[in-house]
Amino acid sequence: MATLFRWPGNWDPFAGLRVMQRELERLSGRGGFGEGRNIGGGVYPPLNVYNGPTELVVECEVPGVKREDIDLSITGETLVVKGVKHPAGESDEEIRYQRCERGSGEFSRTVVLPDKVEPEGISASLVDGILTVRLPKSQAAMPKKINVK
Amino acid sequence: MDIYERTDGATVLVAEVPGAKSESLDIRVDKGVLTITADGRRESLGDQYARTYTGFMGGQFFRAFALSDEVDRDNIQASLSDGLLTVTLPRAEAAQTRKIEISDG
Repeated sequence: MATLFRWPGNWDPFAGLRVMQRELERLSGRGGFGEGRNIGGGVYPPLNVYNGPTELVVECEVPGVKREDIDLSITGETLVVKGVKHPAGESDEEIRYQRCERGSGEFSRTVVLPDKVEPEGISASLVDGILTVRLPKSQAAMPKKINVK
Repeated sequence: MDIYERTDGATVLVAEVPGAKSESLDIRVDKGVLTITADGRRESLGDQYARTYTGFMGGQFFRAFALSDEVDRDNIQASLSDGLLTVTLPRAEAAQTRKIEISDG
């Protein structure tokens, strides 16, 4: 029997499974997106993922974390946000905590992106404690209009 | 929020207010109660952006504390950087430790 169609070369047989895993993590209250650590209550850092027409946007709430303490990397469709959250008090001074809710320590979160992106075009900014990563979608992930002759 | 006491006796409040600009902050002392309000709401990216995953929503922040008489209410200082609000409550002069001299009877 003749082959009617072939999967494209970059077809990922596990894409569907990953989506399912994400949904299961969400439902089971684990927060989803990999090995997030709890700092100051809840998986840290909290993040949002948006899917726009030409780009994906990932936002992280990291108040008090310095630019130089954040380490962002991407491998294929996997974005990793790593960093260190330092305690608020002046380190060289002896201080007495009355309340310590914010927490501190190393953090890491893995985001499996819903689309393929162009690694060269990624930009990130840190404003008012919110890290915004903009990831332009790759041509292959964008819809293309086909003219019928 | 973290609250700690420095060696000079001042109490420092550290609050996370991600997304809040300094003009949205309102810190006041009224009848011995310190209230802190901040607005972390931001403009949405637009209708063309679908939410794939939501871990946080920008919102308004509010917290209130009753101050003790040991706080110097006229010299409270606040600063905002990287989404972190720091409020310093110095210790009042009257609350400092004083040595009392004994006069000859």
